[in-house]
Amino acid sequence: MKIQIKNLSKSFGNLKANKNINLSLDSGIHALLGENGAGKSTFVKIISGQLTPDSGEIIINGENINLGSAKDSIKNGIGLLNQDPLDFSNLSILESFLVGINEKKPFRKIENIKQKILGLFKNYGIEIELSSKTNSLSIGERQQIELIRLLYNGAKLIILDEPTSAFSLEQKKRVFETLKKLSNEGIIIIFVSHKLDEIFEICETGSILKSGELIENITKPFNSKKILSTMFENTEFHKSEQKYTERVNKFSIIISKSDLFNDYKSDLVHEYTFGSVIGIAGLQGSSNDKLIKNVFSNEFSKTRIIKQFGDPLKIENYYYMPADRLERGLFKDLNLLEHYALSISAKKTFLDWKIIKQTAIDKINKFNIKSNLNNSLSELSGGNQQRVMLSLMPDLESVLLLEQPTRGLDYNSANKIWEMILERKKQDIAILFSSTDMDEIWEYSDIIFSVSGNKIMDISYKNNLTKEKIIKFVSGLV
Amino acid sequence: MFDFDNLKINSIRLLLTLFIIFFTLILFGISPFEVFQSIIYGSLGSESKFIRTLIVWAPISLASLALIYTFSAGMWNIGIEGQIIMGAVGATFIARSFLGDYLISPYIQILFAVLFGGLWGLLSALLKVKGNVHEIFSGLGLDFVASGIVIFLIIGPWKRDGIASTGGTDLFHKASWIPTIGNHNFPLMLIVIILFLYLLSYVVLNFTSLGIRLKSTGINVLATERFYFKSDRYIVFSYLIAGSIAGIAGFSQASGAYHKLVPSISGGFGFLAILIVLISSRNIYFSFILSFLFSILIVGGSQLQIRLGLDNTIIGIIQATFVLSWLVLQRIKVENMILQKISRVFSK
Repeated sequence: MKIQIKNLSKSFGNLKANKNINLSLDSGIHALLGENGAGKSTFVKIISGQLTPDSGEIIINGENINLGSAKDSIKNGIGLLNQDPLDFSNLSILESFLVGINEKKPFRKIENIKQKILGLFKNYGIEIELSSKTNSLSIGERQQIELIRLLYNGAKLIILDEPTSAFSLEQKKRVFETLKKLSNEGIIIIFVSHKLDEIFEICETGSILKSGELIENITKPFNSKKILSTMFENTEFHKSEQKYTERVNKFSIIISKSDLFNDYKSDLVHEYTFGSVIGIAGLQGSSNDKLIKNVFSNEFSKTRIIKQFGDPLKIENYYYMPADRLERGLFKDLNLLEHYALSISAKKTFLDWKIIKQTAIDKINKFNIKSNLNNSLSELSGGNQQRVMLSLMPDLESVLLLEQPTRGLDYNSANKIWEMILERKKQDIAILFSSTDMDEIWEYSDIIFSVSGNKIMDISYKNNLTKEKIIKFVSGLV
Repeated sequence: MFDFDNLKINSIRLLLTLFIIFFTLILFGISPFEVFQSIIYGSLGSESKFIRTLIVWAPISLASLALIYTFSAGMWNIGIEGQIIMGAVGATFIARSFLGDYLISPYIQILFAVLFGGLWGLLSALLKVKGNVHEIFSGLGLDFVASGIVIFLIIGPWKRDGIASTGGTDLFHKASWIPTIGNHNFPLMLIVIILFLYLLSYVVLNFTSLGIRLKSTGINVLATERFYFKSDRYIVFSYLIAGSIAGIAGFSQASGAYHKLVPSISGGFGFLAILIVLISSRNIYFSFILSFLFSILIVGGSQLQIRLGLDNTIIGIIQATFVLSWLVLQRIKVENMILQKISRVFSK
């Protein structure tokens, strides 16, 4: 199969999401890189027929395909694997196959379909019962099954839109193996991601998008420095190398025995200086997020933080930031101003809208939030929502509890978020964050808690650790 | 904080809705002009008619106000009918007691109406918060219980001497009726209460942390904890406030409209108020106005039979057409288009 994309353009109002993109692929795994808002999703949606481009053509094996028709794209063998599996969580796997496959006949021989699916499963080394419920599987397994479903429907070109953001290491390994196998069989794969290490691992070629334009095509061996500078060229890009003064006051973390791994001999009380950043490392599905939440709500165990001197910590001293921004963090139908009202009015009966407005304007500027005060939160981009959450941090000396603070953000946005968080080292008691990204843990933590399953496997200062050790701990190896 | 754009859009929508009602009436072979004329004449044509309209408006506007609180907190307070009924029971309890013969009676009645209605609301809230019973089921259940209680009281302990009929209790002593001015029947006290409560609620909903916390509870219960408050508490608050206000609506029905307790004391006004608040999208000014429009329809509609020989079920048709076309218009947002056209004409 050969796909040629010629002069593809698409704008939304004044925004040019894709500008004259040309690309030609006939085999292999091709990476699509670019920062948030570079136009990757638009491009992918056009190819898969979900969006109609303003101009341009897509030619498959010498024939023009009907643009903007998902049906035609599927017919021509284009399959899209979404970021989150779009399946029916309460059907069994066989049932969701029956719904999702491309069969015209009203009556089907289920036995035949079953055999065909099992054949594909066997071919790609998938060992999952067809009768098991979709919601009993991990996200990685569901994505694998979605891949098989695309193959069943005869996909020759598979697009993966940031597929690994919810995977554990083990799941990632399995999906990557499947992908390599598919590629060897001649199926073209377009892999959209911001994670360079993954791209280096499986892709042979790639294209970099920036502000809607395809600015560079790259081939193996990749040069990561060059790629990063191309991706983020002209966007202000710096990593702060500020040194923070050591503080003298200390706080203690008292760890409940039930949270510790049985064989791990550790003191139950750990003492750290104010302003320490504690990274809680764990794989997807481990209870690293739960540990963070527990400090705020005490619902899972007795692990808690106490100050050694001065007033004991009150609930207002904690600032908890959940990983899912709109589900548990913010109010999607409230506007920005009302969020500040909610956070400022904690102790007051009456609202002074003048003061609230002033504070809101200050915070929006300080945290570089691109939005009007009257925009409701659901209208903001993920990065802006995250900045709103950060801007709602109380001004008083706090314990920050951040669940995956940069989830779903690109490299540059994530750096900016971290700059804002590290700014608080001077004033806050402690900054606890959880992450599944070991590089992030390594980069920003002073102290690292490694969690596997729902147990803490290790607690150490970063100086006494190596990255490899952390990976071993979070994988459950001691 | 007055939202002029919203008012503009709602006004245009109101006109469009009336237009649709016109056509619906024509389909039935009825002259819309005559119908509207007689509705307006029947409800506003004389002082006594106007006062009757006010007496009907009082419970509807109060129930709407009550529902604004619970809807803000995201609660479908179907139990509003029960809360009105229990308010009426509270008022009747005082009116029938030894206090009923004194002029102070109406004021004590209000207290008891608030108490009874508030507690009935609290029941729904506790079932929701503690027992995890969906508020629609508990509300519906408690509505049935409340009307059961009323019938029991009317044919049981509070029955008229010698007769056990469902026609209602004895009339209250005159002192227990809602006070009016001089020889007129104008229910000044009721109007003062309504205006005061609306004004107070405007302040509470827009300028207090209670208001914004109720609203956020209604949007996302899971995020409230992060802002240092418990959504459960605010759900209970909303029900207490709503029940109390609905209780006053019940008092108005018992001591203002019927001067006794009757089985269908709530008059279905609670359900009507649900429609009003849905239509107004919890907007407090618009609920105020709409509840008045609906009371005009109800009072004026009863004149239709006398004046035009039409059955007054036509009012039901008008009400239903109103609500349905309103909701459809709200959904398809033609008003914005019209508004843009208008502003373009004026800007030239």
